[in-house]
Amino acid sequence: MSNGFSAQFDAETGIATLLMQMEGRANKINMAFGEGFAAALDDCLAFEGLKGIIVASGHKDFCVGADLDFVYRSRDAAVFRDQVRQVNALYRKLETAGVPVVAALTGSALGGGYEVALACHHRVALDSPAVQLGLPEVNLGVIPGAGGTQRLPRLIGLQAALEHVAQGKIVRAPQAKKAGLVDDLQPTREAVLEAAAAWIAANPRAKQPWDSKGFRYPGGVQPDTGDARNLFAAGAAMLVKKTAGAYAAPEAAVSAIYEGTLVGLDAGLEVETTYFVNRVVSDQAKDMIRTFWYHKNAVDKQEGLPRADDARVETVAILGAGMMGAGLAFVFAQRGFEVLLKDIGQEALERGLAHCQAQAGKLRHLSTEDRDALLSRITGTLNVEDLADADLVIEAVFENIDLKHEVIRETEAVLSPEAIFASNTSALPIGDLAKASVRPANFIGLHFFSPVEKMPLVEVITAEGTGEETLARALKVMGTIKKTPIVVNDGYGFYTTRFFSAYIMEAAQLVSEGHDPVLIEWAARQAGMVVAPLKVFDEVTLSLAAHGLDMREKYEGKPLDFGAARVVRKMVGLGRTGKAAGKGFYDYAAQPRKLWDGLKDLAEGTPEVTGVDYLADRLMLVQVNEAARCLDEGILRTHRDAEIGAILGVGFSPASGGPLAWIDRRGVRDVVEKLDALAARLGDHYAPPALLRRMAENGERFFEKV
Amino acid sequence: MAGAFIYDAVRTPRGRGKSSGSLHTTKAVDLLATALRGLRDRNELDTSAIDDVTVGCVTQVAEQGSCIARTGVLVAGYDERVPAVTLNRFCGSGLEAVNEAAAKVASGFMDVVVAGGVESMSRVKMGSDGGAIWDPTMEFAYGTVPQGISADLLATLHGITRQDVDAFAVASQKRAAAAWERRAFAKSVVPVVDMNGLVVLDRDEHIRPDTTMESLAKLSPSFEMMGRNFGLDALTKKRYPQVEHIDHVHHAGNASGIVDGAAAVLVGNEDAGKRLGLKPRARIRAMASIGDEPVIMLSATVPASQRALQKAGMKASDIDLYEINEAFAAVPLYTMQGLGIDHDKVNVDGGAIAMGHPLGATGAILLGTVLDALEARDLSTGLVTLCIGGGMGIATIIERV
Repeated sequence: MSNGFSAQFDAETGIATLLMQMEGRANKINMAFGEGFAAALDDCLAFEGLKGIIVASGHKDFCVGADLDFVYRSRDAAVFRDQVRQVNALYRKLETAGVPVVAALTGSALGGGYEVALACHHRVALDSPAVQLGLPEVNLGVIPGAGGTQRLPRLIGLQAALEHVAQGKIVRAPQAKKAGLVDDLQPTREAVLEAAAAWIAANPRAKQPWDSKGFRYPGGVQPDTGDARNLFAAGAAMLVKKTAGAYAAPEAAVSAIYEGTLVGLDAGLEVETTYFVNRVVSDQAKDMIRTFWYHKNAVDKQEGLPRADDARVETVAILGAGMMGAGLAFVFAQRGFEVLLKDIGQEALERGLAHCQAQAGKLRHLSTEDRDALLSRITGTLNVEDLADADLVIEAVFENIDLKHEVIRETEAVLSPEAIFASNTSALPIGDLAKASVRPANFIGLHFFSPVEKMPLVEVITAEGTGEETLARALKVMGTIKKTPIVVNDGYGFYTTRFFSAYIMEAAQLVSEGHDPVLIEWAARQAGMVVAPLKVFDEVTLSLAAHGLDMREKYEGKPLDFGAARVVRKMVGLGRTGKAAGKGFYDYAAQPRKLWDGLKDLAEGTPEVTGVDYLADRLMLVQVNEAARCLDEGILRTHRDAEIGAILGVGFSPASGGPLAWIDRRGVRDVVEKLDALAARLGDHYAPPALLRRMAENGERFFEKV
Repeated sequence: MAGAFIYDAVRTPRGRGKSSGSLHTTKAVDLLATALRGLRDRNELDTSAIDDVTVGCVTQVAEQGSCIARTGVLVAGYDERVPAVTLNRFCGSGLEAVNEAAAKVASGFMDVVVAGGVESMSRVKMGSDGGAIWDPTMEFAYGTVPQGISADLLATLHGITRQDVDAFAVASQKRAAAAWERRAFAKSVVPVVDMNGLVVLDRDEHIRPDTTMESLAKLSPSFEMMGRNFGLDALTKKRYPQVEHIDHVHHAGNASGIVDGAAAVLVGNEDAGKRLGLKPRARIRAMASIGDEPVIMLSATVPASQRALQKAGMKASDIDLYEINEAFAAVPLYTMQGLGIDHDKVNVDGGAIAMGHPLGATGAILLGTVLDALEARDLSTGLVTLCIGGGMGIATIIERV
């Protein structure tokens, strides 16, 4: 046994089991994996009377991928290429050893783990939706690097493989069987192993299809044909339509599949290796791995945050049955909480309950009983007295501080002293809301994002008076409902709302300066932003922004009169309040949707400099500046929250790794210079915070350079 | 400089490029041989005097693969010592063959070169030759799109409307029909016959003389679905971020027809003509090829023409007649805009929208067409230009002698 790998032989059946059980809780692909696997394979092949090999895992999962520490630290292309080649040689040895090899997928096999399975002749998986399979590498800025881009198209066809690899799809075992990612499903671990053994007995001469004479790609489309060219042309175009060219990894995956399938498997593996190495050593991969692996895990594990062993929350009351309120009711009920959904109007309440029903209907994998049970956990009410049993109350009523104060007083009056009161406000300072509370220590902000069923982020806001225990209990509940929580300190607009406002208001500002709105939209997309700013502005409505301006004026005690504010107010005055109204920055009556011609009349001048690069810089700089300010002001507590909040909450460029990574990549000094230049021209609100100046002077970065 | 003269030009009629087209049963090499024989026979040419044969052919696979030019020479019964080369500059190939022939002659290295082109689009599918141009890496790096999207983008960028392109298409049909009516092509068209000497086709069969604005209005845009639903429009954003939506104006009725056909042009220096007892019809005054931005792809007719004009020491207004290939109606319309020339001088006997565009042959065909038109009207100078895949353009200026 070396590195947790062992070879066991059953002399009676002639079947060797190559067991992967690396130290720790999971099998991770790294140098130790390679050595252990190679040694165990040699042991297997040395068994007298060997008839076949079962590759199995001693852990819960089969193997969920590469050791990302190893990938993250790799910067030397030549060294890394040699390491990758060794892995490929090992898998070629496995699949051409002359005996049938079966992967016993008793748990999830993802990324590099699924690539082990691909190098086997047959894949038997545990028939459970908890077992996940796929090649999600592109989500971390890299591509499959141990044959995934080569064996999958040869196993399930070019088109299907393109979709799986370029989109980084993860599928559950039953779907994986349909898609051809696994060959067989069995109900138990033992049955998986038995089926593997039976397959070996029945297929003594098993060979990979790609090592067999006359091999043809499944799915009909053969490489280097007109059909294949059309397929790749459309695939590449659809990809660019979605990503605006901001992501290098899915593009590399498409190219690796295209080029690698023009040649045989061995040459194809070499093609893949070239692309894989090129991605792994890139900045984009480093930034994405840091954010989506290290930061995301730390946030989900709530590292460094207060913990409650028991949240003491069983019943959750939601105030307001609108989109957000009803969505929250559903999400909590889905995770087993008793939910009280309260509104002041019967009609609104019924709409909210109907929303929950519709959502439950979408959960196809649930049985009717489970679905009914879920819905039975939601109780609608118009009566505040019914909330007496609630352990956690989340208000999602209209953004008006007087109204919220009233709701807080009225609800607290019936609550137990233990209960937590949370506001889902997206901007109003929690401390100000808590002024209406008789127990501010139990008062907290839980800012969810819409649609809450889909959006993973929650921004947890602690006011000055918020108790540590309240935070701990709230975080425990957020973990239970599987939300990714960032924790920030109090202040108008907290972090994400400030950050998001900076983005869309800058777009309105650019409109006021006379820049072409078509270019503004594209510049943002090309910079990696998930949604173009004027488009998303229309979705959140301009009336909300106008209302926000009014609220901010009230808070700051001075009039807000700048280009963007004037554009927003003029638009609202014209009734162009957004998508819901059918007209905003866009005309929704036009087919397809078109930017409104009248925007040019809102221009207050003609810009001296414009163009995609300039506009992209403007849109990105105001956002990263806002993140730096939030750090400087102590709104943000950690760097990781800055990255995760911006990306998961409001769609900041995922390819960049986040606003702080964006600053690092651009160079703090350069960012400070650009912001100073903007401030000189357009006003102090563009000026960088002291934190950035200090970092520029000292030549510092936010994240260690790897 | 020795100078290069055009002694003659012939072409086959163009058959509809589908299985129901009249030339579908004729092999590509026989189309080429028909043109080569026609040129020889009309001029009683001693083929042993030919130094080279340059043939444009775009889709060089299957029966058009393996240097079809040389096989064509043998099938046509030319002297076995006549070599041949097949070349590919996409839609400019036929004119490129003429220009290369002219260059070989004008340089003094050769005396007599036959240029030409061939494409059986009904038998060899366009695009079936693959190519690095289809590599996704190219798409990612450049945002290259199929030509139809480029044509629609060109129209969008230059304010060319559906009305404009349809009106141009109607004019092409009317002019082509009128030209056939008065036998304007009689001098150039060599019928395609079978081995029994029976006529397979003796007229351009793609023309629809009854085309009207109303009939075209019924056709839906060919590239809209592809462009909008399959992300191809989005690919052009990188180069043309200012375009919010591409106005998809082209359809089967205002784009070039897919057809089968071939052409041959006899190019030589003055002495060789005298030696062979031939009278030159025109001389090549200038030529140019040029690259342009590959996403818009079809716009290089303008810089190519300008470069040729500059080399000839001429202005656009000095040219009596233009042949601007009607790959898509927006291309000649854009070229007319760019050069500042009037429709009256352009494609006077119709073009590829009516008669079709056999890719590798068209350039050589257009050279003959402009020569016939100049002679019929007793005019002097003509300019032929074609837009080319990958973002190129080609132009040749001739002058009657």
